[in-house]
Order: sequence, then C-alpha cells, then structure tokens
Amino acid sequence: MKEKHKGTDTVSKDIQTYLSFRLGDEEFATNVQKVLNILELKPITKVPHSPEYMCGVINLRGNVLPVVDMRVKFGMEKIEATPDTCIIVLNVDISGEEVMLGILVDSVSEVLEIDEMLVEPSPSIGTRYKAEFIKGMWRQGEDAFIMLLNIDLIFSSNEVVLLQTKTEEAGEVEEEE
Amino acid sequence: MEKKILIVDDSESIREVVSFTLENAGHEVVKAIDGQDALTYLDGRKYDLIITDLHMPNLNGIELIKRVRTIEEYKFIPILFLTTESQTAKKMEAKEAGATGWIVKPFVPEKLLEAIKKVVR
Amino acid sequence: MEAFKDKFKEEAKELIAELEHMVLKLEGNRANKSIVEEVFRVMHSLKGGSAMFGFSLIDKFTHLLENIYDKIRTGEYQVTDDILDITLNAVDHLRNLIEETPDTVAQLEKENNKFIEQIEIVLSKGALKSDDFKNNSDDDKKVSNHTKTYFVHFEPSSDFFQDGSNPLFLIDDICQLGETLIVPVYSKIPKYEKINPIDCYISWNLLVATDDDINAIMDVFIFTNKRSKVEVAKLSDKNLLAEKSHRKILLETLLKNHADLFEKLSIVVPDLEKAQNGNEQNTQRQRVQSSHSVEQTIASIRVSSEKLDNLINWVSELVTIQAQLSLYTQQNQHIGLAPISEEIEKITRRLRDDVFSIRLIPVSNMLTRFQRLVRELSHELDKDIVFESRGTETELDKNIIEMLADPVMHIIRNSIDHGIEESTEERVKKGKPAKGKILFNAYYSGTNVYIQIIDDGKGIDAEKGIDAEKVRAKAIEKELISPESEISRKELFDFLFLPGFSMAKVVTNLSGRGVGMDVVKRKIADLRGQVEIDSKLGFGTTVTIKLPLTLSIIDGLLVKVDNINMVIPLSSVHKVYEYEHTKIEKAINNLILADDERVPILNLRKYFNMTSPPPPLERVITIEYGDYYIGFTVDEIIGEYQAVLKPLGSAFKEQDFFPGATILGDGTVALVLDSNKLIELFAKTEVKIGN
Repeated sequence: MKEKHKGTDTVSKDIQTYLSFRLGDEEFATNVQKVLNILELKPITKVPHSPEYMCGVINLRGNVLPVVDMRVKFGMEKIEATPDTCIIVLNVDISGEEVMLGILVDSVSEVLEIDEMLVEPSPSIGTRYKAEFIKGMWRQGEDAFIMLLNIDLIFSSNEVVLLQTKTEEAGEVEEEE
Repeated sequence: MEKKILIVDDSESIREVVSFTLENAGHEVVKAIDGQDALTYLDGRKYDLIITDLHMPNLNGIELIKRVRTIEEYKFIPILFLTTESQTAKKMEAKEAGATGWIVKPFVPEKLLEAIKKVVR
Repeated sequence: MEAFKDKFKEEAKELIAELEHMVLKLEGNRANKSIVEEVFRVMHSLKGGSAMFGFSLIDKFTHLLENIYDKIRTGEYQVTDDILDITLNAVDHLRNLIEETPDTVAQLEKENNKFIEQIEIVLSKGALKSDDFKNNSDDDKKVSNHTKTYFVHFEPSSDFFQDGSNPLFLIDDICQLGETLIVPVYSKIPKYEKINPIDCYISWNLLVATDDDINAIMDVFIFTNKRSKVEVAKLSDKNLLAEKSHRKILLETLLKNHADLFEKLSIVVPDLEKAQNGNEQNTQRQRVQSSHSVEQTIASIRVSSEKLDNLINWVSELVTIQAQLSLYTQQNQHIGLAPISEEIEKITRRLRDDVFSIRLIPVSNMLTRFQRLVRELSHELDKDIVFESRGTETELDKNIIEMLADPVMHIIRNSIDHGIEESTEERVKKGKPAKGKILFNAYYSGTNVYIQIIDDGKGIDAEKGIDAEKVRAKAIEKELISPESEISRKELFDFLFLPGFSMAKVVTNLSGRGVGMDVVKRKIADLRGQVEIDSKLGFGTTVTIKLPLTLSIIDGLLVKVDNINMVIPLSSVHKVYEYEHTKIEKAINNLILADDERVPILNLRKYFNMTSPPPPLERVITIEYGDYYIGFTVDEIIGEYQAVLKPLGSAFKEQDFFPGATILGDGTVALVLDSNKLIELFAKTEVKIGN
C-alpha cells in the first residue's frame, strides 16, 4: 500500500527528504514536500490532440488530474505498464500558481534523507539532460547516481523533452531556442 | 432622555456594538448573554427597554419575551428584538410572543436609536 | 467590532455604488427632488456607519457632501456640472477610503484634506450657477413637493398595550410629518365598572398635511400588530389644513365620526380645493387599505459569496453522486429503487437550476461604469455622445459579468474613439442625429446570452476604401494571406481580432495602447464565449459577444469514441442516426444523407487520430451550427448526462475543444466537447460548409 509522505521536520536545514523513482535505467528524485500522494496505476483517459508527453487525465477524488508521461518528458520511449508502474501526485509551482498534476513513473524506489552539503552539482557538459532541470546528483553506492530534479522548472517548461542538444553536450555555448 | 436598557445577545460583538452606541447616546446599559442570564437581571429592577436577539442558547429570544410578559413589573415594557433578515414569519412570531418592534441586522447607530425612539419616550 | 467593520464595509460598498447610480440619474433629471433625497439619504447612511466603525475619514468627508446636498434639497444650491463632477470624483475617493488600512491611513488623510479643499473652492465659487439647469417638468409632476393631505384611521386592537406598544407615540410620530387635525374616538369605552385598564378602547381619525409621500405615514405603523386597523388614504393633493376655515369644516366632519368617514370628507374636498389658489388638477383620491404590517418587505437577503460558492460546490457534488446512483440503479434491479432514483434525479435537476440561478444578476449592474466611461470620454474628446441600453434585465452569472466589464469597456472606448465622427457637423451632413449613440443591447437566444455594443458612427469599410486596404496590407505583411487572394467581409472583420491590427490612425491616450481587440477576444474566449464585428460604412459598427449562460453544469449527451467517453452539449444536438461504418467511409465529399438532406460529416475517430477498429454500426449526431447541420460520428451513444464541468488544467490550455471534463458515475473521466469550436476548426481545414 502506498502511503502519503509529508515533509519531515529536519534538524539541520541541510538535510532534506526526497522520494526517488525509476525511469528506464535512470533514478530520479523529487523533494518530498512536492509530493501529495502516490497512486497505483488507474485508467487514464487520453485527451486527443494533446502534447505527446501528456498521458491524459484521471479522476482524483472528484477532481480531474492531468498525468504527464515522465518517460516521454525525459526523451525515452513509451512502454507498456507493469505492476510497478504508478502515478506520483505532485503539487507544482508553475509561474507562481500551485498546480496539481500526476507523473507516470516506472516504479517508486525509496525515501531518502539527503544532506544538501553532500550533493554534487550536475556537470554542465557531457550529460544527457539540460542542467537547469537537475538540482544536483546524489551518489548512491559505488557509481550509481540519483538525479535530484528541479520539479517546478521541469513543468514550467513547454519543452517536450529535456535533452541537451548535441552541441550543448559537446560543450559549445548555445543560445536557447 | 437617559434610559436604562437591557441588551440580551449571545454574541459579544453585538453586545459591545449596541452598548457602545447606547452609552454614547447617554443611556445606561445592562448586558446579558442569553435568555436565562437575562432573567436573572429581571429581578424587579426598573428598565425602560429590553433589546434581545432571537437565536440564543439556554432560552431563546421568543421564549424570553413570553416569560418577560408574565412578570408583573415588565408586563408593558417595550421590547425590541434583533433579526437578521426581513422575514415576516419570524417577526410575526416574535410580535405574537409579545415583542413591541424589531431592528434589522446589520444596523447603523442611527437605525438603532431610531427604532428605540419609536417605542420609548 | 472587527466583524461588524467588515459587514459595514460591504454595506458601504453597496451604498457607494448606489450613490454613483443616483448621481448619474440626477444628471439627466436635475430638478428631480426625489433623486436628491436619495443621494442625501445614502450619504447620511454612509456617514452614520462610518462614524460607528472607525472610518473617520469617510465621516469627515461625507459630512461635507451631505451639507452640499442638504443645500440642494432646500434650494439654496442648484445641481450644476461642477457639483456632479465633484460627487462622481467623491465616489471614487470614497472607494479608496473604505479600503483604509493602518499603512494607508496617512496617505488617505492627505488626499482627503486635498479633496475637501477642492470641494470648498467649488462651493465658494457659488453653486448658484444655473447653466445647463433644465427644468424637467415631466419629472416634476411625478414628485410634487406640494403638501398633500392624507386621512388616517387608526384603530388599535384591544390588546395593543400588551406588547409594550403605545398608540400615543404613533400619533406623535404622525404629528412630526406635518400639520395635523386629530380626533380621538371614545365610543368604544365601556362603562366604568366594566373597564379593563390594560385594554385599549380608543381609536383615532386624523388628517395630516405633509410633503412626504404615503410611505412616510405607513412607516409610522411599521410595528403595529395585525389585529389593529390602519387605513391611510390621500384625501387631496393640496394642503387642506392651511386655512383656518378649511380646518373648521373638516373638523366638523371628523367629529361626526361617520362609518364612511373618508367618503364624507371627500365630498367637501372639491370645494375646499377650488377655494385654494392655483389651478392644479384634481388628482384621484386613492383608497389604500392597510390593516396589517405596513413595512415594505424587502424580498431579498444578503448572502456572502463564500457561502454561495460552497452551496454551488455542494450542489455540483450532489449532481455527480446522483449520477452514480442512477448508474447503480440501472445496473442493479432493486424493486422500488428506480422510482426513488428518478425522483432524486428530478429534484437534483431543479435544485441545480435554482441554485445556479442565484448567481445570475442582471447586466444592468455593469452599466454604471459604462455610463461614466461614455461621459468622461465624450468630455475628453469633445464629442457629443449618448449612452443607451436595452435588455438590461438579462441575467448573467456574476463571475461572467465581472470578467466582461473590461472587454466591454474596451469595445466602447473603441467605438467612441474611432467610431463616432469627430464633429457634429460631419454627422448632421450625413443626415444623422447630432448626438452620437452607443447602444448596449443584451438578450437571450437558446442557451446563450448575447451582448451587443452598437454605435452609429463611421463604420468600417469592408469592401474597398481605406479601411479594407489597410487590413489587407497588414494581412499580407504578416503573411496571413497571399497578395492575390480576396478576403470576405467576415474574414476582414475576423482579422481585426488579431494582434497588431488596430484601426487606430493615431495612438491616442485611450486606445491603441497595445491592449487591442486580440486581448478582448481572448478574455471572452476565457469565458467560453465568442465575439464578432459587423459594420456598415457610414452607418456604424456592431460588436456582438456571445456567452454561455453558466460556466459549470452542462446538460449533455454521453457518447463513446474509441473507448473514450465524451459529452456533447445537448443544446446543440439536433438528431441522432445510425449509420453503417462502411457507408461513412465511402461518403463522397464527406457528405451523407440524413432525412433526405445532405449533411457534411466530421469523423471524430479520424479527427482525433484514433486507431482502434471502428464498430460496424456507428452513430451520427447532427449538430446545429448557425444555419447548418454537421454530423459527428461516434461509436456509441450512452445517454443523457448532467456534466459537472471540471477544468482540465493548465496543461491542456493549448487546445480549445475540450473546455473541461466530468467525472462519471463509475469514477472514470469523460471529456466535455465544445462542438462549436470543433466545427470551426474543422471548417477551416477541410470541407466548405454550405450548399
């Protein structure tokens, strides 16, 4: 049973709680304060003529909740749902407005206490995703990293995918399109 | 024209507003918090007017008015009740119970003093 | 005190709005005393309340205004343009003052003092200027401030004293209204032994001569119980108590205490009136029977918006769960459940209609600001313009009205700035009335409300001429059309709604600030409405806004397309047909035959790129679109459904044809389809509609 997690009372303001989830073979995480709920996969009503990254809408306690396909947002191919697929309900700040939406993820991993001091910055070159969407990287184990997401920015952006362009990857200075 | 007036209302803000207005106009005000409480003040002391709300715990306005009319000293005392809407039914009920007149809430000081002038001289 | 302060704030806002309305009325009717009285009364109420709840600035300010209007009442001052201007400015200032907070107090106080100085200057200039003072004698007749004579018969019930009432107070109050002639009637007093001291045996017959109208007399008896008798009737439009000789005659009649006293009095009246100076006509003497409570029952109550919103939410939830109940009833055959469920459905529907109509208020509420706008702009631009309105009792959801105000203001501004000719000579030369006219027209049609702003100005040339050329040039420049193509009238007007297509030749202070018709169109689209322009060169321009009646609940037809549930608003549904899928596929030019008519089809599956195999037998729903019908093809029709519209969210802001979604009885989401929008888009990209 998935339960709701609230933001914890942190002793030092450097320690934050994150919820991590899996997309493909990458791990991402979002600050638990943004998380309202975790839902098992339920029937999603597709909305015709909507952007590729929108799965559609679901009914959440009498309200219509939009669901974003995070795989598509991160440039991955869509896949069939598995028993682990679920929807994380987030409270996101889009241009000053609080918006509730759901994200479809392959699976939810765990809740982590992360000391902000130990978070490594995301390198500006050579990574797959645009730097501004990644708050930083958290080392887990030997060479596994969890990417901490700047969830508000991700949904403020109209961009379908958040991949760096080839030239950015190569480290050249590029103008925002 | 200083009068002694008993105000009965379970809302503190109303009691305050009414007593403030009346005292400024030179009257003496006694406050009660509901019908039951009001009866304890109606022990034979002389009042010129009773102002009461209708909806109160422990003895509502209508009951209070009926009771007051059974007390010898207050058989003919003017009684005004506070009502929040212009509902004829409630007004009629209160009049039948023995009320003299009413004041519609919310009111400005003018209206309160006007209504009082209608029934007390 | 705080809670009361807020309540007073609300009251004050209403009073200020009333004041504004009254002042504008006064402008057209400067001799109308009753309007001046109203204005005075409103200021008086404002002053009283503000004193009580700590709005000292308002208190000081309205005190001064009250003085002005008092002097107008007594005739010492006349109603001049200056006074009207000041009062309107005062209205704005009052609106600021009511929002007084600890931080703004100092600033407001400064402004207040400045304002007061200004007023005093105007007053000292002598408000006795009687420039455009028109004596509107028609109105004068309605409100005569002559002294009239009324007959009153007051018979308290025998138990009159028992609720603390005192009939003498009432007699006193009548005396306050004017000269009186009072005769008490002792005939009912029993013999001494039989007298019950707590019973009332006396009644009164009296005459009162007063400037006030009959309501002032009725007001005296406002608390009087039902068993008492109160009769008030106007005996004469003149003061019959002025002359001693008249009083004597009337007194004699009163003393006789006839049963039909009023008739007897009426007999002597004509002679008395003739004997008076002046030849005013004899108006009818109406008998007004009133033995019950004489108050004017106010048929409305004030409800907080919050309570109303809550109520509306609960009703919406009720509608949703009632849908679940209906579904359950269909799926489970319990004896006796079906009729109950049906009854609940009926009641829910009526409850829904009634509750939603609470938020409907007449558009007349918006008009004051338009009147002021027209007034100010016509002064500023030196154009003589009159503002008229029709159909103002048409009602709209309060939220819609509030959001409409800005777009309509902008349209009116455009009409005044660009529409109405520069000078009266120009207009007269064309055979038009000297004054330009802006007409605000509101009406219902189907489930929509239409609001039109019609001006009789220059109009826009859609055929040829400067205007059409300009629009064409701009459109070509923006690469919206090719240089060779022709544009139709409608297309030209539609272009005006795009950004950058302002008709302004010169950017004035008022319009052309970048807030163009494109913003107006967007704001109206936000309300799920549409706006159109039509114009005739030389005659004027009409802007028409079409809006749905309410925002939240839609009566619809629930259908299924590729396993997605959709709701089509019932108001646009015309008929439903069954069609074999193969026939639809093969339809030439996308036209099918329905009831011997050729109807173009919009294949929803195709349009929405749905890939699953279609059923062999599809349904075609013909939808009304203006004068034509379009057929939508769907897989299945499930039934009628009351959809509580829920927003899809900002993620879906980009598309237009699903204004929202609704939750079905089984918990799944159905999309609500805006058939009009869909057809518009369809028409643009595919088949030409028409014969």
